[in-house]
Parts: sequence; C-alpha cells; structure tokens
Amino acid sequence: MARIQLENITKKFGKVTALDGISLDIKENEFFVLFGPAGAGKTTILNCIAGIQMPDEGVVKFDGEIMNLVDAAHRDTAMVFENYALYPQMTVYDNMASPLRSKLYKRDEAYIKQKIEEVSKMMKMDHLLQRLPSQLSNGQKQRVAMGRALVRSPRVFLMDEPLAHLDAKLRNAMRTELKEIQVNFGTTSIYVTHDFMEAMSLGDRIGIINKGKVVQIGTGDAIYYMPCNEFVAQLMGDPEINLIPGRLEKKDGGYTFTMQEGGRTYVLPKDKDLFAKFDQLGASAVDMGLRPQNLKYSFTPQEGYLKCTVYSYESIGNKSVIVAEMGGQQLRMIAPNGLHVKIDQDVYVDLMLDHSMFFDAGTKVYQSRYNEAEIKAVAKWED
Amino acid sequence: MKTNKSLLGSIVQNVLLVIYAVFALFPLIWMVILTFKPDAEIYTTTFVFHPTLNNYRVVLFETDYLRYLRDSLIVSAGAVAVSVLAGVPAAYALARYNFKKKEDIAFQILSFKFAPEILVVLPLFMIFQKLHIYDSYFGLIWVYQLISMPLLIWVVRGYFEDISVEIEHAAEVDGYSWYQIFFKMLLPLIKPGLVSAALLAFIFAWNSFTFPLILAGTNVQPITVAITKFLGTGSAHYGQLAVAATLSALPAIVFALCIQKHLVRGLSFGAVKG
Amino acid sequence: MAGLTIKNLYKRYDNSGKKKNVQNDYAVKDLNLVAEQGEFIALLGPSGCGKTTTLRMTAGLEEITKGEIYIGDVLVNNLHPKDRHIGLAFEDYAMYPPLTVYDNIAFNLKAKGVDKAEIDRRVREIAPLMQCDDLLDKMPVKLSGGQKQRVNIARAIIRRPELLLMDEPLSHLDGKARQAMRTEIKRLINEIKCTTVYVTHDQLEAMSLADKIAIIDLGVLQQFGTPAEVYDDPVNEFVASFIGEPPMNILETTIVGESDHFLFTFENSNLRIVVPERYNNVVSNGFKCKVGVRPMDVLIGGADSKGSPEKVATFENLGDERRIGIHVGETLLMLITDDETRYKAGDIIKLEVRGEKTHLFDLKTGERIRER
Repeated sequence: MARIQLENITKKFGKVTALDGISLDIKENEFFVLFGPAGAGKTTILNCIAGIQMPDEGVVKFDGEIMNLVDAAHRDTAMVFENYALYPQMTVYDNMASPLRSKLYKRDEAYIKQKIEEVSKMMKMDHLLQRLPSQLSNGQKQRVAMGRALVRSPRVFLMDEPLAHLDAKLRNAMRTELKEIQVNFGTTSIYVTHDFMEAMSLGDRIGIINKGKVVQIGTGDAIYYMPCNEFVAQLMGDPEINLIPGRLEKKDGGYTFTMQEGGRTYVLPKDKDLFAKFDQLGASAVDMGLRPQNLKYSFTPQEGYLKCTVYSYESIGNKSVIVAEMGGQQLRMIAPNGLHVKIDQDVYVDLMLDHSMFFDAGTKVYQSRYNEAEIKAVAKWED
Repeated sequence: MKTNKSLLGSIVQNVLLVIYAVFALFPLIWMVILTFKPDAEIYTTTFVFHPTLNNYRVVLFETDYLRYLRDSLIVSAGAVAVSVLAGVPAAYALARYNFKKKEDIAFQILSFKFAPEILVVLPLFMIFQKLHIYDSYFGLIWVYQLISMPLLIWVVRGYFEDISVEIEHAAEVDGYSWYQIFFKMLLPLIKPGLVSAALLAFIFAWNSFTFPLILAGTNVQPITVAITKFLGTGSAHYGQLAVAATLSALPAIVFALCIQKHLVRGLSFGAVKG
Repeated sequence: MAGLTIKNLYKRYDNSGKKKNVQNDYAVKDLNLVAEQGEFIALLGPSGCGKTTTLRMTAGLEEITKGEIYIGDVLVNNLHPKDRHIGLAFEDYAMYPPLTVYDNIAFNLKAKGVDKAEIDRRVREIAPLMQCDDLLDKMPVKLSGGQKQRVNIARAIIRRPELLLMDEPLSHLDGKARQAMRTEIKRLINEIKCTTVYVTHDQLEAMSLADKIAIIDLGVLQQFGTPAEVYDDPVNEFVASFIGEPPMNILETTIVGESDHFLFTFENSNLRIVVPERYNNVVSNGFKCKVGVRPMDVLIGGADSKGSPEKVATFENLGDERRIGIHVGETLLMLITDDETRYKAGDIIKLEVRGEKTHLFDLKTGERIRER
C-alpha cells in the first residue's frame, strides 16, 4: 500500500507525445480510475508507474521515494494486462503461483497453495486451477489474470482495461463482482478504462485523461455533475448529455435563455449563486448542458413543451432513448422500452431547466450550474 | 450408399499414396538393397541375390569411416550449437527492439542463404589459408554458420514475435529478472521453433558438401566428402559406397522424424485475448 | 416489394464421416416465420443458433433440407439467388477492390444490362440516402469501416430488392460509429419501406431496429414478437435472460403458503416476496419454480415499507442511474434505481417488487408458468 505521485511526466514515442506533463497524487489505499478515450495515454501512465516504460521527463514517487531508477521487478507492483498476458505453458495454478515463486517475492509452497485457494474462491474460479490458458473462455482468462495479481500484497495494484474484451453482459456482471471484492484489495489501486460505467462504479476518484494530459480529477459525482468542460460532460453518461447552444439575457432581475435553433426563450428558474455567476459573465453565448433523464416528453401537445419530431427510438438495455429533432438541434431523452414510436412522428419535449449546467460557447469550459453548492457537498468536491 | 462410396474413395486414395511412396522411396530402397549385395551382383537388376554383410564389415572396420562420421558430427553439432547461442539472442533482438536498419539487417542475414556456395567458396579458401584455419574444425564450424544461422534466426524470430510483449512485462512485474523470464517464460514458448530449426540446421550442415570439399579434406573429413573415396580410380565399390551413404543418411532421417513431432505449433496461442 | 413466409424450415448439415455420434444435428428445426410486407424482422440468438443459416437459405446460398420459403407468393426453394429479387448486406464488406465506390454500387445493375443513364440516376438517388455521395469516386481501400458498410448497404438496395437481407452488418464497427450506423439503418429502412430480415446476436440492435424479433436458440424458434412483447412477456427463461441489460433476475424459489397469501422464499436468504394474487391458482405450498423480475422492477421501499429488509452487497453509482446488488443465496439480485441516495455496502434497504412484473418459470424446462 503506497501513495503514488506522478510529477510532470512526459513521454514521447518518436515524434508523438504520448504523455504531456502528467501530474497525479493518488492517496494511500485509494481506488483511482484513469478514464479517457482510446489513445489518450492511459496505458502509458500505468506502464510508467509499473516501470515497464521510462518517462522522458518527470518523477514517479511511491510514498515520496523516487522510483524512476528502480526496475519493474523491484517496484513491488502487481498488474493486470488488457490482453491478460497469461503464461500459456503453465496451468492456471502455476500462473497464479508465479509471482510468489519469483526470487523477490518467494514464499513456501504451503503458503502459495493456501493463498491461491483463498483468491480463487473469491474470484469463483476454483474449478479452473488445473486448466491451461488455451482452455479458458475470455471471461475466465480475465479472472485468472486478476487472480494472479491478487495473490500478492503489492504496494500498488495496476489494472489496464481488464474488462475491455468481454461482451456487454459479462462486462457488467464482472464490474459488479469487482465492485464487491474491491473492499478486500486493501491496496492502492489504479484502474484504466474507457468505459464510463466502470469509472463511475469503481473509482473513489477519477482522473480524466485526454491527449496525454490530465483534464479533470475528482469523485465520480463531481465529474458527472460538474464536468470541467463539454468534452468531459460528453464522456460521462450514455446517452450523451444534450448541449443546447443559446444566449443568456438579463431580464427583470432574472435571466432568460434563448435557444439558438428555433429561437425559443425560456425564463430560467431563480438560483441566487447561478445568477450571481451570470452577472459576472454579462449577457453571453452559452451552451446549456442537460442530461437525457432531465428531459420530459409527451406525444400529445402540452403547454410550454417544444414541438419536435422523432429522429430515432432505440433501446439501451432496460430503457430506451428517444432522439427528438428540431431543426439542427437533436435532443436525447430517456423513455421506457417497448413504446410504439414511429420515426418522424411529432413529440413534445420539456426541459427541466433546474438541472441544467452552462458552458462557455466559445471555450466550451464549464461556467456554473443549478444547485452547485449542494452538489459540491454530495460530490465531496475538492478545489 | 454413402458409406460405400467413401470406403471406395479411401481405398483409391490409399492405393495412389502407396504408388507415390514407392516411386519416391525407390532410390533409397535401391540403395539399401545395394548394401547387402556382393560386388559381383551389383549390376544385376533382379531382386534375387546372395545377401551379405561384407560391405558393412569393410566399411566399418577396414576404413576410417567412423572417424569421418565423428568429424561430421563434431562440425555439424558445433555449427548448430554456435548458431543457437548467437542466433537466439539475435532473433530476440530482431523481434523485440527497434533500431535503425533493423529490417535491412534481418534481410542481410537471410540473404546469406541466397548465394550458391560455390560462388563464395574460392575467396573463402584464400581467406582460410591466410588465417590458418583451413582444414580445421573451427574453420568448418565457422563457415557452416552461413548455412545454419539464417535459418535459425528467421524461424526463432517468428516465434518471438508471436509471444505478446505483455507476457514479458507481466513476468517482470511478478518479480522475475530478465534471465529468469527468458529461461522460464520465453524458452518454453519458442522451444518448438528452436528445436525444429536446430534440427533442420543440423541436417543441412550434415549434408553440406561444397564447403568441406574445398575448405577441408585431410585433418577434418566430413562424411559427405569422405564417401567420394569409395569411388576409387580403378574400381568403384558400389556396395561399400551404398553402406557409407545409408549410414550417413540415418541421422538425417531420424532427426527429420523428430522434427515432425515438434513442428506442431499452437502452444503460444490462447495465452492472450482470443 | 413483398413479404416473406417461412414454413416448417429444416436444415441439417451432412456430418457423415465426421461426428458419427451426433444425432438430430439440425442447424434449423421446424422454423415458421411470417414477415409482412415492409416489416423489419430481426433474427436474434447466440452464435451458432442457426440464424445465419436461415438467412442464407432465404438468400439461396444454402440448400434447404426440408420446408418452404416464399417471397411474396413465390415459392423460392428452387430459384437461383439472382432470381429471388433480394438484396444482401453481409458482415464482411465484400467490395470489389479495383472498382470505385460508384462502380461498386452500380456493379449489379451493369451486370443486368441496365442502361447507363438509368444506372447513373439510381446511384445518384441512393448515394445521398446512405450519405456516401462524396465517396463515389473513392476506392474501397480508402474507406473507413462505417463508410464501407454504407456503400455495402447502398449496393444491396440499389437493385430495389423485394427483400433485404442483412447479416450482422454492424459487427465490425465499434462504440459510437456502431450506434450511429444503427440509427441510420433504421431511418433508411423506414424511408424505403423494404421488407428486411436482419441477423444479429446483439439484443440491443434487435430491440432498437426491429418491428418484430425472432429469438432463436439451438436452431429452434423460441419466440416471435414485437420488442415490447419479448421484453415484457417472454415465453421462457431463455428469452427472459437474453433480452434486457442487465439481464432479468431469475431466482429459484419455494412457495410458502400463509393464511391468505403465498410467499416466494429463497434458499439461504431471509427475503420474502408476496406472490401476486393472479398466481394463486397455479402455485401451492411447497411449489418449486423460478421467479424472474427485471432490475427496474425491484424497488427500494420507504420507511414504512413492509418489504424485506436486506443488506446492500454492492452499490454502483453510474451517474445516470444507480445499481444495487443484494445477495439472495448464491445469486446477486440486481436492482436499478434513479433514487439519489448514496448507499454503501452493508446498508439495509427494504425490498419491494412490482408484483405485476414478475414471471414464473418451470424449474426444469424453463417454460413460462402463466396465471390461469
């Protein structure tokens, strides 16, 4: 168990800058998720911590001790690889025993046996121990890879997209399972993923990485409710957040929001802090961000609802998404499965404005939102 | 109806295969028959003759045949050993590291096998004379690298490339040093390739004729060159020649059978995502 | 344009000489399907269930062992694929690499000898529909996966087929491209109103695209119905667990009779759920079966709830929703809630279940037990 610090890590591959001044401070015993799109540099960060790759610049510290010159074997980390990297010539048992049989972390066979039994029971794979990796399904390989890392008590536990190659159902089930055994880790853990559900579910804190840079760090709630820019807002949530361009105008001591598409004007419900923030900005072009669950729909005309047409109606599992279209503006919202919705039929949409957040239309940077103070409290916001 | 048809099909298939096998093996069979024929019956083409082991006795006990065999063994095994020791690290480097002109170097190594031996053997002869390694084990083992090394490097490199680099990383994180990783993790995975490449290299070295003919001949006499001695100026003892040839072909045949078993790949599959 | 009728369709692969001990190895077994004119049908099932075989038999690429296939009123069993008036879009984008996108799309019409002006008119008409008008001069190698699939579909629909057959056209695409293409296909079919059979193993695709879904397992049709029907009214355990994500909770239960009602009880668990009254005629004290309920239909009761108090095993805050797992014996019962409370493992919540949304399944056969 250790505190992991990265200071200004830069890593280039030829002319490509993979990491550009990454600084992270991961607390002892924390489950930290690195989240971002493919190619953001997440795996490279993990490799730098494990000692598989050397940063060109910057310092990697474990508990304040600089580790740059310590090779991977001596860093006392355990890692789960995206492609599992099981030793093909060894049985599952021997794969799991391998870290405890190496010179550095050597334990006697009785201890190894007991430890493997304990871990394999926890991972529900005790019946697999005598098999070879080639005889396992992807889900089982994933368990073994995880189990091999869990038999040791390393200073830090590194996981690189361990669920990425599983199909959706298995991935969700494994994520829940992982959540359940997470409490038994008792180790600082760093988990790389491009799946926002994994990030939200597992992470004590999440670090959003994009193009080799840290974009935002915070709890899942903090990032979900107060994303630092539109990129992060779109990353968190499926279906994606609705971004509605428009203009803010001060009127009668309050504010109105006029949609760019269609020109509909909404009187914004009062929120003192929010309006104070608007006062600072002056009247300006903003993008309103509204999560799909904060839109209401009706198939009959309703007072104050916006008239749109259905662009699509698609299932996302236990519920469905209606995409409504009004001119060039698309609006996503949640609906139950199995409705009889026809494409291009009329649908009436209401915005629950008191759940909205606002981004600068030019820089796409987060400005403010409704109930910011309350949300900061729930989200354990750190400045 | 269907089963009858497939039965007939397999009979026809097998008959054809037997015919082909006889055709392909006929020279070998003829050679083995010759070894049991007395000199007087060598030229008769009938299969009825008076079998004798006399040819074997003469070759094994009245000539230096065993010495030649030993020489062949030393140079071939030596050549393969050197190839393995130098070639496996080279193959690893070519598979794993990125350096300038990597592919050019790899191709250069392969290209050693392109030139006919006879083309380079004369300059080599001059060089060997100057270096005083003419007609020595060392000299032959050295020059045999042209035969065995490219083969070994190319086969083993392919095997290394098939092993995902994460397996090495995983072992490293598990606390193994590089040498331990190499012997515990990598070697078992490349073994099928390494063994078959080494055996093939051994066979090629064993069968090599041009190099030992020109670059050796008195102190060191591999079997391929020595066999020609049985073609005396006046009389050709074809029976003895056949014995020598048969015996010298044996190791190659045995090894070839061994390789067959090892050529089964697939051990490296299934370790990473499917 | 025409409908599709499949009657008692069988397919058996000749395995003589290979696996002699396999009996009844039907890839497709007694399949009956009717697609009305203009309907979008999805064939859904796990890999190897026979859905692709069915599609290939419909296309004429595979021999029919037994049964009849009609396109419109025409029995097509013995018709050559080119005479069946079908359009095909397969998983692999088999495009002709030396031809431009334009020529690829036009290839079929050229082969039929349609005159040049007409071909040009039709290509220019289809291209904007599939958003590939600016790709027409490109070579196939220059296209991205999504673009290739668009061209592929354009090629299938340009001959104005009576029946459009698609086999996992999205399986090579990932994430957002896949979702976007799915929407495009749906809108396109809606526009050209062509009878379509779509093969997929992804239940979300089937749920999103199809007017009706045929769920197939082991060569046998399990259920054929609208997305709402297969979701809310599954005929057996297989369909119930195949449709929906996360899947329906299905638990083995023993019914216990109380004074005026029955209870679902579970091994190694204190959970008690009242059996909805409509099942009173089919259950009895000690009756064993499986009970299924979707995660959305398990609710957290308020302070005065009569629901069983249960310990939270997992709590996952996913932003858009929260998922809670509760141990019922060996299985993890999942529930999905919009409730904003942040629970943690070990918290006690009261469990309630929407009685009208529970389904009973036979313990052995997995068949649905319906109320009488």
